[in-house]
Amino acid sequence: MGVMIGLEVHCQLNTDSKLFCSDSQDHRGKRPNENTCPICLGFPGSKPKISKKAIEHGMTIALALNCNISRTMFFSRKTYFYPDMSKNYQITQYEVPLATEGLLSVGDLKIRIRRVHIEEDPARLVHVGGDITNSEYTLMDYNRSGVPLAEIVTEPDFTSPKQTRAFLEKLMNMLEHTGVYDPGKEATIRVDANVSIDGGERVEVKNITGFENVEKALNYEIIRQNSLKRSQMKIARETRHFDATTSTTKSLRKKEYEDDYGYIFDPDLPMVRIDDEWLAKIKRLMPELPDQRVARFVSQYGLTEYYAGVIVYTDKRFADFYEECCRSNGHPDIVAKWAVNYLLKSLNWRSEKISDSKVTPKGFVEFLALIENGKLNERFAKELIKEYVDTGVSPGELLYKTKLNISEEDLRDIIAKVLKENGRAIEDYRSGRKESLQFLIGLVLKETKKQSNPNEISKLLTEMMPR
Amino acid sequence: MKEHLERVKAQDFDNGEFIEKVMQSASNISNEYSAFITMAKDKPNGILPISVKDNICTKGIRTTAGSKILDTYVPPFDATAVSKAKASGGFVIGKTAMDEFGFGTFSTNCAYGAPKNPHNKERVCGGSSGGAACVAYAADFPHIAIAQSTGGSITAPAAFTGTVGLTPTYGLVSRWGLIDYANSMDRIGVIGKCSYDAALGLSIISGYDPLDSTSMNRGATDYVKSIGNDVKGMKIGVPKEYFDGVDKDITENVWKSIKLLESMGATYEEFSLKLTKYATPAYYIIALSEASTNLAKFCGIRYGIEKQISGNYDEYFSAIRELGFGTEAKRRIILGTYARMSGYRDAYYIRALKIRGKIISEFKAAFKRYDSIATPSMPILPPKFSEINSLTPAQTYSMDRLTTAPNLCGFPTISVPAGTINGLPSGIQLIADHLNENKLVALASACE
Repeated sequence: MGVMIGLEVHCQLNTDSKLFCSDSQDHRGKRPNENTCPICLGFPGSKPKISKKAIEHGMTIALALNCNISRTMFFSRKTYFYPDMSKNYQITQYEVPLATEGLLSVGDLKIRIRRVHIEEDPARLVHVGGDITNSEYTLMDYNRSGVPLAEIVTEPDFTSPKQTRAFLEKLMNMLEHTGVYDPGKEATIRVDANVSIDGGERVEVKNITGFENVEKALNYEIIRQNSLKRSQMKIARETRHFDATTSTTKSLRKKEYEDDYGYIFDPDLPMVRIDDEWLAKIKRLMPELPDQRVARFVSQYGLTEYYAGVIVYTDKRFADFYEECCRSNGHPDIVAKWAVNYLLKSLNWRSEKISDSKVTPKGFVEFLALIENGKLNERFAKELIKEYVDTGVSPGELLYKTKLNISEEDLRDIIAKVLKENGRAIEDYRSGRKESLQFLIGLVLKETKKQSNPNEISKLLTEMMPR
Repeated sequence: MKEHLERVKAQDFDNGEFIEKVMQSASNISNEYSAFITMAKDKPNGILPISVKDNICTKGIRTTAGSKILDTYVPPFDATAVSKAKASGGFVIGKTAMDEFGFGTFSTNCAYGAPKNPHNKERVCGGSSGGAACVAYAADFPHIAIAQSTGGSITAPAAFTGTVGLTPTYGLVSRWGLIDYANSMDRIGVIGKCSYDAALGLSIISGYDPLDSTSMNRGATDYVKSIGNDVKGMKIGVPKEYFDGVDKDITENVWKSIKLLESMGATYEEFSLKLTKYATPAYYIIALSEASTNLAKFCGIRYGIEKQISGNYDEYFSAIRELGFGTEAKRRIILGTYARMSGYRDAYYIRALKIRGKIISEFKAAFKRYDSIATPSMPILPPKFSEINSLTPAQTYSMDRLTTAPNLCGFPTISVPAGTINGLPSGIQLIADHLNENKLVALASACE
C-alpha cells in the first residue's frame, strides 16, 4: 500500500476586486485593515456580491486541468469559529463545485483532480511572541479577508513527497501561464497535504507555504507516522501544523471534533448558471498553456525539446524573457543556449528568479551582441554573465570597464613575459595546434587577474608571436 | 397622509414646526408603549416621518436588532430601503422595538423592553415588528413604518394592532442593510394606518439594488395607483386548512371581509392546500439553519459589545455570546445548528428545502385559479403578556402557521383589519402570486 498523499492547493486569483466586494484584491503596501469594507469585515446588514471575474478564472483553471465544468453551481457556508473568519463561516462551494474530474500529467505521473472550487480567503493572523499554538497574543489583519481563492483538490495519487513538488511546480507554471495567478502581486499558493501510510488514518498538514516546505512537511510526517507504527502506536486522524523553522509538524486538533461544518447553501448568493456562450468565451480566451508553448518553441524557434522544456517550465516569466530577447536577436538557438546553460545557471546559483533579478532582456541581448560581434569570446563571456547577474551593470559597460583596467602597454609587457616563458606552446602553435593559442590567452588572463579582454589578447598574441 | 402630502406640495406647511411636533409625539409614543429602542438624536430633515425596525441599518443611529450583543453598534451605512426613503423626503424618527433578531411572534423576546399594544397595554403588539405596528397605529402624524418579515413578522403585528402590513415579493425590496435572520426569506416591507400608506411606502422603498444579489432587476412601480381599483371579477381562494383551530370570532370577521369583497363583484371559492401542515416545520428548519450561521459573526471582535477576559478565543467567543444573546436566540442557534449537522442535515435541512419546493408548486397551481388567497392573519386575538409566559416554544411557533407558507415561498401578502372583537383588532391576510402586489393593494383598499 505504501504512502498515499493528496493535496489541496489554494491559489489566490488575479482579479481586480475581492471575491464578494469591490475592495482591491491586491493589498501590497497597505496598512493592516486598510483594505476592508463592511462586506469583507462581515458587518451586520452587509451582503456578498460575487465577482464574475473570479468565476471566469476558476473556469480557466478547470479547462486547463481538463475538468468537467458544472453548468449550475452554488455557494455554501462552511461554519466554524476562528478569529480569521470575519463571519465565522467561510463562503465556499460544497455540494456543487465549479468543476470535477480533471487530470494533470507531470512526465509519466498522472494526477487526478477531484474538484476545483472558488472560495474566500480568511484574514491574516499574526501570532506575536510565538506560533499558532503558543503565542502571547494575536493580531488580525483583514486586508486579505475575501480575496478570491481557487481550491484545487487532487485524488490521493502521490506516492512520494518528491512527486508533490514536481506536480506543484508544473501546476504553478500552468496557473501563471493562464494569467489567473500573478506571483508578482505577492499572490500566494498555500497547500494542505493529506498523508497516510499503509492505508492507515489520514493526517492533514494545513497551510504550508512554499513547495520545498510541502516536501519537507511530508517527509517529516512519513517518518513520524512510520516510527509510531514501528512502536505499535496508533496514528490518530488529526490536523497538524507545519513549523517551517524546525521543519516539523505539530498537532493542532484531533479530527473527530472538526469534521462537521454544518454546510448550508448561502442564501445571499443565487445559483450561478454557466451557459454555452459563457463557456465558449472562456475557451476562446484561453491563453497558451505550457505544453503548447513548448511545442511552439520547437516549431517557431527551432529549439530542441530539451531547451524549449527548460525555458518554459522554469517559469512563465523566464519564457517571456526568452521570447522578448528573440524579438531583438535573430538567433533563437544562440539565445536559448546562453539563456539555459549560463544565465539560468547563474540565477540558480543565486537562488533568483528572472523576475526578481537585475537581468533585463535589453542587457542580455547586448551581451549576446558582444559575442556575435567578436568583442567577447565564449570563455570570457561565461565570466561576464556571472558578473552581469551579480551586479546588473550592462554587459557593454562591464566590458568597457574591464578594458580600461589595464593599459595596452602593460598588456603588451605581460604578453611578452608569457611568450618568453612558454616557448613550447609557441612551437606547438606553429606546428598547427590552434588550442595552444587558447592556452596562452588563459595564461595572460590569469596574469592580468582577468582584467583584460581575450579578443584583444588574442590579437596582440598573434601579432607579437615570434616568427 | 394624502392631505399631508398635498399640503407639502402646495407649500402650505411649516416644516420646522411639523418636525418638532412629530418628534415630540414620537417621544410620547415611546414613553407610553415602549415602541422605540433608539430615538433619532440629531434634528432630522424631511417631509415624511418614517420609523425603521431596529434590524435595518441606519447610518449614525444605533442599530441593535433588538439584541444586547449589538448594544453599541452604530452602522457606517444606511440600508437601501432607508436611503431610498430619505431620497423621497423621508426622515428617520427612531428605531422600533422588535424581538431579538426577529425571533418571536409577540415582540416579547426583547432585550430592550416589549412594546405594549396601543389598544390595550396589558396585551402584546405581535412580532417581530411589534414596535413598527405600534407606532403605525398610535402615530397622530403621517408616518410609514419600515418593517420586516421572515415568517410573519409584518402580518402578525399588523393584525394585533389593527394596521395594514404589506410584505412584498421576495427580492422586490433590497435587503442591503438588513441584519439577517434567514436570508432566503427575510423581506423588508411596510406597515401603515391604511392601505394608502402601505402602498406609498412600498413604492418608495422597492426597486433594483445591485448591492443585494437577490434583488429583482425591474423598474419602479407606483402601487398607490392600485388604491380603489375595481375588484370586480377577481377570484379569491379560501383554503380550509387555514381556519383549523382559529378563534371563532376571527373566522367570522374574515368571512365578513370576504363577503364584503363578494358584494363588490369579486367571487370566492373554498379549496384545499394539502401541504399546509408541513409549512411551519419546514419554515423553522430552514430559518433556524440560516439564522444559526448568521449569528455566528457576533463574537465581540469587530463590532458590538466586547469584554476583557482571559482565556483563548473559543472562551472569549463563548463569554460574549453567553452575555449578549437572549434565551430565544440561544435556543434558535442550537436548533438551527442541530438541523444542519452531518447525520441530521439530510433528514432536516435538505428535506425542508425539498418540501419548500413542493409548497411553492402547490401555491403556484392555486394562483392559476385565484387572484388571491384569503386567510385569517393570526389564529388568536392579541394575548396578554401574562398569557405568553405559559406557552411552550412549540405552541408559540404554531401561532405562525398561517403566515409561514407565504414567507417560505416569497409570495406577497397584505394584512388588513377585519373588524374588532371586544375592542381588540383582528386581521385578514391576502396572499398573491409573486409580483402581484397591485392586486393586493386593490383588494386591501376595498376591504377598508
